Amino acid sequence: MTDFWIILTGSLVATCCSILGCFLILRRMALIGDAISHSVLPGIVIAFMVSGSRDSFIMLLGASVLGLVTVFLIQLFQQSGVQSDASIGVVFTALFAVGVVLVSLNLRQVDLDLDCVLYGEIAHVHWNTWTLGGTDMGPKAVWLLGFTLLVIVTLVSLFYKQFKLCAFDPLLAAAVGIPVALFHYLLMGLVSMATVSSFESVGAILVVGMLIIPASAAYLLTDRLGLMIVISVAIGIASTVLGYAAAYVLDASIAGCMVCAAAVLFILAFLLSPTHGLVARKLWRRMNQQSL
Amino acid sequence: MRHKVKAPFRRWMYVVLFLTASVLVLSGCADSKETTGAEGEGKLKITTTTGMIADVAANIGGAYVDVTGLMGSGVDPHLYKATQGDIRKLDDADIIFFNGLHLEGKMTEMFDKMAEKKTVVAVSEQLPESALRTDGSGVHDPHIWFNVRNWISAAEVIRDTLMEQDPEHADAYRTQAEAYLAELEQLDTYVSEQIASIPEADRVLVTAHDAFGYFGDAYGIQVMGLQGISTASEYGSKDVANLRDYLVDNKIKAVFVESSVPKKSIEAVIEGAAKLGHEVKIGGELFSDALGPSGTEEGTYIGMVRHNVDTIAAALK
Repeated sequence: MTDFWIILTGSLVATCCSILGCFLILRRMALIGDAISHSVLPGIVIAFMVSGSRDSFIMLLGASVLGLVTVFLIQLFQQSGVQSDASIGVVFTALFAVGVVLVSLNLRQVDLDLDCVLYGEIAHVHWNTWTLGGTDMGPKAVWLLGFTLLVIVTLVSLFYKQFKLCAFDPLLAAAVGIPVALFHYLLMGLVSMATVSSFESVGAILVVGMLIIPASAAYLLTDRLGLMIVISVAIGIASTVLGYAAAYVLDASIAGCMVCAAAVLFILAFLLSPTHGLVARKLWRRMNQQSL
Repeated sequence: MRHKVKAPFRRWMYVVLFLTASVLVLSGCADSKETTGAEGEGKLKITTTTGMIADVAANIGGAYVDVTGLMGSGVDPHLYKATQGDIRKLDDADIIFFNGLHLEGKMTEMFDKMAEKKTVVAVSEQLPESALRTDGSGVHDPHIWFNVRNWISAAEVIRDTLMEQDPEHADAYRTQAEAYLAELEQLDTYVSEQIASIPEADRVLVTAHDAFGYFGDAYGIQVMGLQGISTASEYGSKDVANLRDYLVDNKIKAVFVESSVPKKSIEAVIEGAAKLGHEVKIGGELFSDALGPSGTEEGTYIGMVRHNVDTIAAALK
């Protein structure tokens, strides 16, 4: 049962992240997950200063607010002409630094770092259960991530056309009357929600990895957005299962192994992709030469 | 150009990719099922977080228990990362002992949850509020083991839990605990004597991070740390300068490095003092958040405390 819950949690994180990752890659904002993983620090510090408690719900609340502030600022700067990588860099370093300053000013005697109070550990999810009216409802993380996935799937499938056009050609989207800014903010809001709730459940590395790697691999395998999302999710889930098996064999960190597995699948895609892959290109060249 | 690749070829590649993926998926599932093995049958299985707790549990439990520590020697509890095998150690355990007071960070909440289903005990639970160090915001310092008296209380918690969970061997646990507690009493006296042998003006313990607060309070030695309680918090340039000036003004002879914290921070202070013409030497390495390698003297709680106090006394006398 333990293994089942861990793989389910990992798959939920992978699915949430790989869906959103596809849109982020198209908008060249893949590193936003890493940015959020740092910029939530002032959120938890302020939440602690206000509440005086390191309870995980309060920390999650503080982190969510800062996650939203982060993506809002990034989007705002980007729309005002700052390049997207630069706006991500500026916002997260500045916010993280604010957090470091706050800790050094007020809380030197409190053990308050992200690893310790916010980031969860996927190895422990099945013990953090949620009890409702006396019944054990299963791991809290599964509920939190399941809800997040539901919101993502609902919004993305409802507004699929709008999201797609905004990602590929925002100018055309604006020309046909789609409120582009609104959809950018909506996407960023979903990213913030997915990353923060995943951090709380499984820690940073898994989230940042799953946001970038499966979508990048899928990008090599297809030119169609719909198919890209499907492949990305499949790669995400496959990495979860493969990574868990590797962690079992090696007795190593589970999240670490899952991201490594995703990297291996990415390399496979890089080599074997039918259109962009190294092998396919070689083969194609040879076939071309023969036909000449 | 790439659009010219033939469609059947492309489709074929997908089939291969997904077949490989699904085969691996299935083998992964099959693999992860056979997790339960039969080892140490009949013994009480105990899992602890830190090595200090594992050592006490092994001493009191003796031959009737099988003790596993999650955090190995030299592992800073603040930086501990769980492995897949750790799940089994926690799942299979009959009793889990942890330090508490947020030493284990977010794992603390998990232990609270687990306590609803199995015996999960914080060894710090019997310490009265007055024995705990508290900072301004009401948060407790978790490094209780540096005051041997606190650790005696922790050992009593472990003894009582063992006797309750395994009444059959309760007498053995009581006898073994009595012997071990007597050793801890001796250790407490030994530490007091050693510190008392240092001239009063020289009783200053300078280390990289603030783990030694309980030690200072209990045995009358002033403790100065560069970092906050967490090894993860940053130290400012002003901290380095303040500590340097303090060393120079009070002619402190030695500072100490810790086994689980990098030496760099404390070396900056020594260099600074040297520039002002005051020579400070490194008095030696202290074990703070983790025990030494198992099998050595410092791999036990008593050996670790003795090593620390001997090192401190030798350098400051």
